[in-house]
Amino acid sequence: MSLVAEAFVTQLAAAEPWPENAALYQQLKEEQILLSDNASSLAVQAFLQMCNLPIRVICRANAEYMSPSGKVPFIHVGNQVVSELGPIVQFVKAKGHSLSDGLDEVQKAEMKAYMELVNNMLLTAELYLQWCDDVTVEEITHPRYGSPYPWPLNRILSYQKQWEVRRKMKAIGWAGKTLEQVLEDVDQCCHALSQRLGTQPYFFNKQPTELDALVFGHLFTILTTQLITDELSEKVKNYSNLTAFCRRIEQQYFEGHDKDCSTIAARSSKKSLLR
Amino acid sequence: MAAPMELFCWAGGWGLPSVDPDCLAVLTYARFTGAPLKVHRVTSPWRSPSGHLPALRTQDEGTISKPQQIITHLRKQKYNADYDLSATQSADTLAFVSLLEEKLLPVLIHTFWVDAKNYVEHTRKWYAETIPFPLNFFLPNAMHKRHLERLQLMWGDDYMEDEERLEKELYREARECLTLLSQRLGSQKFFFGDSPASLDALVFSRLAPLLKAKLPNGKLQQHLKSLQNLCNYCTSILSLYFPWDRGDPLTDAPRAAGTDGSEAEEDPHKWRKQLLSVLVGLVAMLGYAFLSGIVSIQRGSVGPAGRQPITLEEEEEEEEE
Repeated sequence: MSLVAEAFVTQLAAAEPWPENAALYQQLKEEQILLSDNASSLAVQAFLQMCNLPIRVICRANAEYMSPSGKVPFIHVGNQVVSELGPIVQFVKAKGHSLSDGLDEVQKAEMKAYMELVNNMLLTAELYLQWCDDVTVEEITHPRYGSPYPWPLNRILSYQKQWEVRRKMKAIGWAGKTLEQVLEDVDQCCHALSQRLGTQPYFFNKQPTELDALVFGHLFTILTTQLITDELSEKVKNYSNLTAFCRRIEQQYFEGHDKDCSTIAARSSKKSLLR
Repeated sequence: MAAPMELFCWAGGWGLPSVDPDCLAVLTYARFTGAPLKVHRVTSPWRSPSGHLPALRTQDEGTISKPQQIITHLRKQKYNADYDLSATQSADTLAFVSLLEEKLLPVLIHTFWVDAKNYVEHTRKWYAETIPFPLNFFLPNAMHKRHLERLQLMWGDDYMEDEERLEKELYREARECLTLLSQRLGSQKFFFGDSPASLDALVFSRLAPLLKAKLPNGKLQQHLKSLQNLCNYCTSILSLYFPWDRGDPLTDAPRAAGTDGSEAEEDPHKWRKQLLSVLVGLVAMLGYAFLSGIVSIQRGSVGPAGRQPITLEEEEEEEEE
């Protein structure tokens, strides 16, 4: 888009208030969605909840293909479609809602840095676990990823995705890592987050920001998703302030809200461990 | 600690001890901690024990090639620049390193290796001149392809095809990253007070090439130059920790004195190359001549081309007689 067109669109976005029928699209909750996509989707939902913007969650099997960037989740607001947390935060900011306005410059720098840390380490570790660890791939990922489609399409799609993810892992240097090293990285990341959080209720002052939403999305999903082993969630459970943080956000922003697909409390296939 | 470790890294240029950001990071970290390293500045990755640069050859653990692993190894050998950091500062280090690697490093790679003007006029030229014959014909191109593929996998194909969008969005994020670094540094000497840490080594290694290289297409460079505290930060680290081996003696000293020095330095190589090419040409010509029969060695005669005038003369003599 040229600069003029983009300015025009931003003006349009700013002009319209947040509609009542805004929708968030993700894959099917019970059968199809994977750990990493679930985490990203939950992060966006948490962010929108924190901004007090109503959103409906709609589950579609082809959500990944509908998305403009190929990544879930994406939101459909008015006549615009925006995907991924970063652009969604900017879009929401253009509409006049922002969680990080009260931060000074240094804090904003730190917030961006920590968000990159989560993306760089936690998200990549989740992707590694689901697509590069053979046991998990065979038993969880392949059956889930292609479940809405008939054979042989389900196998073809999941092999294609696996090849794509493995290429990316190779490009960023994670292909040579063993599972132990990946779990070690997750531990380091959680340690850093735990240090930064300390005893505060949220990462910055008393108000949540998009960093809190992102961390919540990933950690909560890791804690409540049943995988082959519990090693990943054990790493997070080692840090009590992080589990307390997740519980606090769940209670504050997700209790008593009805969602279309399913509420967080009503996950049948996942362990609900924060009860 | 007993035996010195050997570090192989890319040669220096553009006023820096090494032109590759990873090599520079390891070198700077080693200088910060005072680790005793024997540094080999090589001009091709084939000279390194592992085939990649940077590479650290140790006595006990073989050769280590990834920069992060090299720094971890140095830390294990008690050369730890992060010793004094508090837990929060260590956490911040991890976060800022992620920020650098995700937002700034890919755009740096794009600026140096993928952006057409910069690559052709600056990066490829330097590497082609530095890498010895015959690698200089295909190695820069191979590196270019590798970097391009890496960026394609990281950013996705739609960014790579749409130059404008790439420029706008990704370069904007890189500029924002630089501004954030500048704000975090503020007016301090190093990121965490008065003594340098591993974060400083990494930030310096990413910023210094961008600052020092003379890029034809330098929008990111201009933005960096506008952030005065980052520029001062880089120059002070260079002058404090790399005072005597800034760049090549080839490029630094002769540039001040004129071009004669550099030509004199390069001359032995030039003569050798010319001689070699003349020899190769001669051998090729002679080989072709022998193989195709134009020239053949037979006892007594000069060759078929030279035979005829002689025999004619003989015949004429015979006839005359």
